[in-house]
This record gives sequence, structure tokens and C-alpha cells, in this order.
Amino acid sequence: MRLVHWLVLAALLAVTWASFAFLSLDLGSLLTGEARAQMWKYVVSFFPPDMSAEYLVRIGHGTLETIAISAIGTAVAAVLGLALALPASGRFGAVPRAVARLILNFLRSIPDLVWAALMVMAAGLGPFAGTLALAWHTAGVIGRLFAETLENAPTEPAQALRLSGSRQSLAFLYGTLPNVVPQLVAYSLYRWEINIRMAAILGVVGAGGLGQMLYFSLSLFQQKQALTVIIAMLLLVVIVDGASAWLRRRLAD
Amino acid sequence: MSIKLDQVSLVHPNGHRAVGNVSFEIDSGERVAIIGPSGAGKTTLLRLLATALRPSAGEIRILGDDPWRVGRGVLRELRCRVGMVHQAPPIPPRQRVVTAVLAGRLGRWPLWKGLASLVYPVDIEGARQMLARMEIADKLFERCDRLSGGQLQRVGVARILYQQPDLLLTDEPVSAVDPALSDRVIGELNSEAIERGVTLVASLHAVDLALHWFPRIIGIRGGEIAFDLPPARVTDAMLKDLYASEAAVPTQTNAPLAMQPTGIRRKPMCS
Repeated sequence: MRLVHWLVLAALLAVTWASFAFLSLDLGSLLTGEARAQMWKYVVSFFPPDMSAEYLVRIGHGTLETIAISAIGTAVAAVLGLALALPASGRFGAVPRAVARLILNFLRSIPDLVWAALMVMAAGLGPFAGTLALAWHTAGVIGRLFAETLENAPTEPAQALRLSGSRQSLAFLYGTLPNVVPQLVAYSLYRWEINIRMAAILGVVGAGGLGQMLYFSLSLFQQKQALTVIIAMLLLVVIVDGASAWLRRRLAD
Repeated sequence: MSIKLDQVSLVHPNGHRAVGNVSFEIDSGERVAIIGPSGAGKTTLLRLLATALRPSAGEIRILGDDPWRVGRGVLRELRCRVGMVHQAPPIPPRQRVVTAVLAGRLGRWPLWKGLASLVYPVDIEGARQMLARMEIADKLFERCDRLSGGQLQRVGVARILYQQPDLLLTDEPVSAVDPALSDRVIGELNSEAIERGVTLVASLHAVDLALHWFPRIIGIRGGEIAFDLPPARVTDAMLKDLYASEAAVPTQTNAPLAMQPTGIRRKPMCS
């Protein structure tokens, strides 16, 4: 190893040590007997999960709410994303392209959790805020992907229709859209899969669904109920991942 | 007058001159075949006629209008009356044949009809008739990516037949179709032009098809007109000269052109 490498290593170690000192973290206290006993007590307090019928009904309701938030949020985002992707792909000239790209970048650069916190303030606690939050952020992501798909789509079919007198809108619908629809659907499904996972935690800032149930039960020290929510989230994610992968494989051909 | 070109040139942005100082007139109802070696400028010439390319120099009039001087509305009107069959039909692979054929008339349809036809084809019978003339009526609801190259070319021809334009332009419309069907397709295009009294301009790779079906042959090489004659006056020497850059004069089966006793290659059947 050269001297430079040693210096870099030394600098990294120094920075790490300085960070611990600055945040007054004492790793040693994690390993004391008392701390370990407390951690064990907390973990044990989660078991057994609350499997009472009454609570399972509430879990089912929360799960449906999470799925609905993500579905509507993604659907709204797909429509809004497509509406922004058309100008962003340069179909209406350079100025609308720049403006649409700016809007997409803005929507995308704010994380969905921050959008959720903002929407909770704007629309109040509950699933509506979560739906809006997902819609805004996903529109930014999906709009960018749609715009790139539209830019890479072959221009000849629409151009040929224009040359036989078709108006631009119909030339787009008959010549361009059929070429890009599978890609647009695949992107939307993929984002939906991500959004179901996201919707499950958005509730932590009060935006409805399973996340909100998790946040409440943890705040009220009801660890047994919290574990039920965590299990439900886990099952939901596993099922959705499998279903989405299967569906996208089917759509690919 | 259907088409008038006056000293038309086209220089591509990379500096290549695809068409240089071409002048000719084509009357309404004329049927003209354009022949020449690959790279001679056949496609560029047809794209100029289809108003897809703007000439770098010279004047062009299509169906009485200068497409580059008229307003957008008039240009769209004009384009409704011009139909072009492309060598590789630009049809989205997942589109159904019926939709691809009906798209030929999008220029004449009001917006609502175009939108409605996306949901459910508005004129299945009309599309079926045109496909029947191309002998692929059984493919009506097939997806276009399930068709062979030759079948797709025939869908392209069916689309232009459905469009019913006043100027039919076809760019090597049968390059992927087998010889027997090629004859049928070119025959249908000719009878369409004769029945409706409209103009047909076709670039063809197979010289025998051109000489057989068209009363006027324009040979081009290097972007310029080599000859512009009725088929009976196109001599072997002219063809040999035109295709000097290629191994032989291209025909459908790559057999040499048949010579009739009188020295006339073949009598055009529809003139």
C-alpha cells in the first residue's frame, strides 16, 4: 500500500472517532448487562402477537386502506405523469419541455415521506393525505420515465400518419401510443409495488393505513398489537412482490 | 397536373446530394414506375412527392399546391389526398391489422371518430374489403407483429387503398412479397388508379414488374433522371447502363428479362 492509502485510512478512522465523540455516543453502554436485560425484556414484550378476531378485523381494514392508498396514488400519478411527460419529451417545443422537466424534478426531489408530512398539514390526518403524498412524488418519478420512453419511441409511425393528413393528436394515439403502452404499464406496476411498501410506512406521519396503526400501537406501548401490524406488513410486501413480478413477466411478451 | 417538379434538388444535412436538378411533370391519372439501382435516390424522390422532405432548391407542386408555401390547414387538406406505402410499413408492432388499415382515413375523420375507432373499429367491413384485395382478409384481427414482412407490406397497401388518395405513392411496396403475389398487388394498385382516375407513382426494384405494369418508366441514377420513356422504348443498353453499379438488371426471380420477337420487352396491359 502506498503512503496515500495509509493517510486516507487514518483520516477515515479519525473522522469516525470524531463523529462518535461529537454525538456523545457511548457504544460501551450498549453492551452492559443491564442494557442487554432491558433489550431482551422489550423484545419479549412483543410476543405473542395480538391475534384476537377483533384486532385482526382492524388489521384487515388497515391493509385494505394501505392497498387503496397506493393504488389510487399510483393511478393519479400515472395520469399526471403522462400529462407532464408529453411536454417533457419535447413534443410542444423547447420552453414547455424545460418547464415540464422543472416541475417533474421538483415533484421527484421531495421524498414521499416529506410530501406526506406536508399533505397531513394541508389535508388533515388520514388516508387522503397519504394518497396525495404518493401521487405527487410518484408523478415526478413516473413522468420522467414516461418522458424518456416517449423520446425513445420510433417517430416513423406517427410521422407517416401526419403525412396522410392525420391531426397530431390522432397520429400520437395511433402511431406512438401502441409502441409505448407496455413500457408505461410496466413502469406503473413497478411503482405501485414500491408504493404499497411506502404506503405501509407513510402512516407513521399520520397518513393512514397500516403505518398509522403501527405508530399508534408503539406510542401506546401496545407491543403485541405492533407485532401483528409488522407481520401484516411483511405478508403484504411478500405477496405484492410475487404478484407484481408474475404480472410483469406476463406482460413482457 | 398532378405533380410538377422544377429543378428540384435535395441535399441531406451531411452534405450528400440525394436528388439533383430533377424536373418532370406527371398528369392526373398517369401511372409511373421509378427504377434505378439502390442508393439512386428513389426513396428520397418519393419522400419529396409525399411532402415528407422539403427540397433544398427548386420548386415542387403537388395536386396544384406548393406544399411549402401554403398554410397548415391547406397542407393538411393536401396530405389527406396523398397516400404513401413505405417499404417497411411504419405500423406499431402491437397494433391490430384492422386498426392499421383504418388509420389510413384518420385525416378525413373527425376527432371523435378517430377516438371511437380506438375503442372499437368503426368500419370493419371496409378494412376487410381492402385486405381481401390483398388476399389477407383472414388476418383482419391479427396483431401486426405476427405477420411476415410480405404480409405487413400488403397491410400497408390495404391502408392506402382504404385512404383513397388522389395521389398514390408506393416505395418498393412488394420488396418482401413473393413474385406471384407481387403481380397481384401491383395489379390492384394499377386498377385502383385506373378505376378512380388517380395518379400512381411507384418505385420498384424488379424491372420486369415496372415494364409490365406501367406505361411510363423513369430511370434514375445518382439522384438524376437517366431516362423517362414508355416501356417499349426502354432498351437493354439503357437498363444495363442504369444498373452498371449492380451485378445484373434486377428482376423478380433474378432471371434475365424475356425478349419478345419484335424487340419490345412486354406490352403494358393496362394502357
